[in-house]
Amino acid sequence: MNTEQVTVVDDDVLVLRALDRLLRSAGFAVQTFSSAEDFLHQRVNSAAGCVVMDLSMPRFSGLELQRALAEAADCRPVVFISGQGSVPSSVEAMKAGAVDFLTKPLDEQKFLHAVRTALDKHRAAREKDVERAAITSRVATLTMRERQVLAHVVTGKLNKQIAAELGTAEKTIKVHRARMMRKMQVDSLAELVRAWTVIQPPRL
Amino acid sequence: MDGHTTASALAQLRAPRWLLTALAVAIGYYLAARLGLAFTLKPYPISTLWPPNALMVAVLLLARTRDWWWLLAATLPAHLFAELQSGVPTTMVAGWYVSNCSEALIGAGLVRWAVGERLRLHSLRDWAILLLCCVVAAPLISSFLDAALVRLIGFGDTAYWDLVTQRFLSNVLAELTVVPLVLTWATALVGGVRKPGSRTTVEIALLASGLAIACLIVFDLPHKGEHTSPAFFYVPLPFLLWAAVRFGPLGIATALPVMTVAAIWGAVHGFGPFASQHALDTARDMQLFIIAVSLPLILFAVAIDERERLERDSRAQLTHLSRVATLGELSGGIAHELNQPLTAILSNAQAARSFLANKTADPEMLAEILEDIITADKRAGHVIERLRAMFKLGETRFEPLDVSALVREVATLAHGELTTRGVELDLRLAPQPPSVTGDRVQLEQVILNLVMNGSESMAACPQKDRVLMVRTLATAHKVHINVVDRGAGLSAPAAKLFEAFYTTKPNGLGLGLSISKSIVTSHGGTLWASTRRGGGASFLVTLPRVPPSA
Repeated sequence: MNTEQVTVVDDDVLVLRALDRLLRSAGFAVQTFSSAEDFLHQRVNSAAGCVVMDLSMPRFSGLELQRALAEAADCRPVVFISGQGSVPSSVEAMKAGAVDFLTKPLDEQKFLHAVRTALDKHRAAREKDVERAAITSRVATLTMRERQVLAHVVTGKLNKQIAAELGTAEKTIKVHRARMMRKMQVDSLAELVRAWTVIQPPRL
Repeated sequence: MDGHTTASALAQLRAPRWLLTALAVAIGYYLAARLGLAFTLKPYPISTLWPPNALMVAVLLLARTRDWWWLLAATLPAHLFAELQSGVPTTMVAGWYVSNCSEALIGAGLVRWAVGERLRLHSLRDWAILLLCCVVAAPLISSFLDAALVRLIGFGDTAYWDLVTQRFLSNVLAELTVVPLVLTWATALVGGVRKPGSRTTVEIALLASGLAIACLIVFDLPHKGEHTSPAFFYVPLPFLLWAAVRFGPLGIATALPVMTVAAIWGAVHGFGPFASQHALDTARDMQLFIIAVSLPLILFAVAIDERERLERDSRAQLTHLSRVATLGELSGGIAHELNQPLTAILSNAQAARSFLANKTADPEMLAEILEDIITADKRAGHVIERLRAMFKLGETRFEPLDVSALVREVATLAHGELTTRGVELDLRLAPQPPSVTGDRVQLEQVILNLVMNGSESMAACPQKDRVLMVRTLATAHKVHINVVDRGAGLSAPAAKLFEAFYTTKPNGLGLGLSISKSIVTSHGGTLWASTRRGGGASFLVTLPRVPPSA
């Protein structure tokens, strides 16, 4: 479970088998589906890897499948492949977060590169998730007071200023701050700020 | 577009068969000569109709020029055998061989010089050249030679100019009777004659018996010429016109010899309107009458045939135009349809190369890869082959066809386009092959047109509803192809839809449905359109069923 896998979805079995072989020859673990429905039914939410899918399939187009994945909070990156690259659909696909949009017949180098990029992207995202989870759990161990101190420290305020704002002695703040730093498992203000930014919702 | 050229007829008979051909020509010449001798009015030395020369003209026209020498040589024994039996001096027999060969060479040579090996029997121009060279020039020129030889050898005592006139008329009649008959039948047989339908068979039977009875009454009953009204001659004419109008050059070329033979037989046996005390007058009157009737009738039949052919050609071109337009709409989908196998081939080959490079290839896997490459390549080849057939402006060819197979072909061709449009094809094909007789490309054009229309009508539907059903059904005597979409239904009354140039599409020609209907009609079938109760349009093609060929 959770080994990195490239999932290929294409309704053309000949193409599906060829891509399966091509990816395996390049050392990837591969899983194939000949229809969007099969893929959606057998999909595992926490699966690691990326998805390579054909843009035009019967009943369920690639774009619809991409949307369905997003709704299911499956954040595996998608590489689209298409028999004919139409500009509007490729724009839509890229907007919805596709890693790449390749036209068939596939250029081997570009294709493998896109798959690698997608895998790297997912791995990085997952690593960030793990880090964020760890930091969030550390924040959860803080007391009310320590959190208040944390919020002020990361904005660059001095202990004296924080004491004034919270209406308490500078000495008390110092104690809170030291305990907070220990619970957050950081040694310097710089490390604390970095951890803090990781758990902030991304600004758009 | 071009018809079968006569030169191709005998060209197929090559070296091993040349002996058979020579033998057949010799036997034909001999029989024709015997027939000519039987048509001779005694004591008059020249036959009223001398078919061997005309037969040779026709044979030479059917053959390649380089085969002419041995074809002519083959007739020498037949000529000697036939003529020597009738007690003619050997020198005269040899002289006649020379003049007969000269007539054949002049006629066929002039035609070949004027039109080359591609004598097209459906062009009025080529027929005019043929008649001018073979019916007028060849007998005329060779008759001077023939009469001179007769006088030189001193056979009989007929005057030179009388000989020229007699031989000329006799050979004109023969050329007019034999050359069109042989050429039209040879061309028809090489091109493959379509088996006539039951109605046509009845018509042919009526025409043949009518003509035979008319000729018998007019020419072969014992009444003397002096008492016959000239109007009586024209009784066979309606039947000849019938043959010319309904059956073209082949019909008139077949009907004319019936009348000619009946007239000559009557005259030789002293019956019919031409029979008189003077053999010379009898022969001349009859020859002039038949020539005067035949020439315009042949040209008339050819003119009608040419016009019909032009009409057929322009209809074929319109059909082709509409087909190309439909294929144009498909082009994106076809690119997709070819890209799929190409992708499979390329990626398979690259995978194999990569497996080999990192030494992880095993023979079994390589065999599978090669198998897939072969399958993909064949698939692409098949698409291209069907496309080429669809793009070609070919002649209509009727053959036994399995309608379900046609639907599958169209599904393959349209697969890419349908996928791009997000349309799913729901094929419900009859289990036993529903067979019809028809033109493969044209029937595929009809199905493709209906499939494309159906898929376009569903452009506004959500993708899950874009399902196009194509059904084939076979009943005892009919085969049905039903194309049902889930679009908005018919946008106009059904009758209007089938009108030419009526279109609801911004880029449509408005030809698709009207041409589909005319194709189906020319196959003896019907095409109906209706709106279904639940919405969506249904198109139903019904064709006569034929038992599948064993």
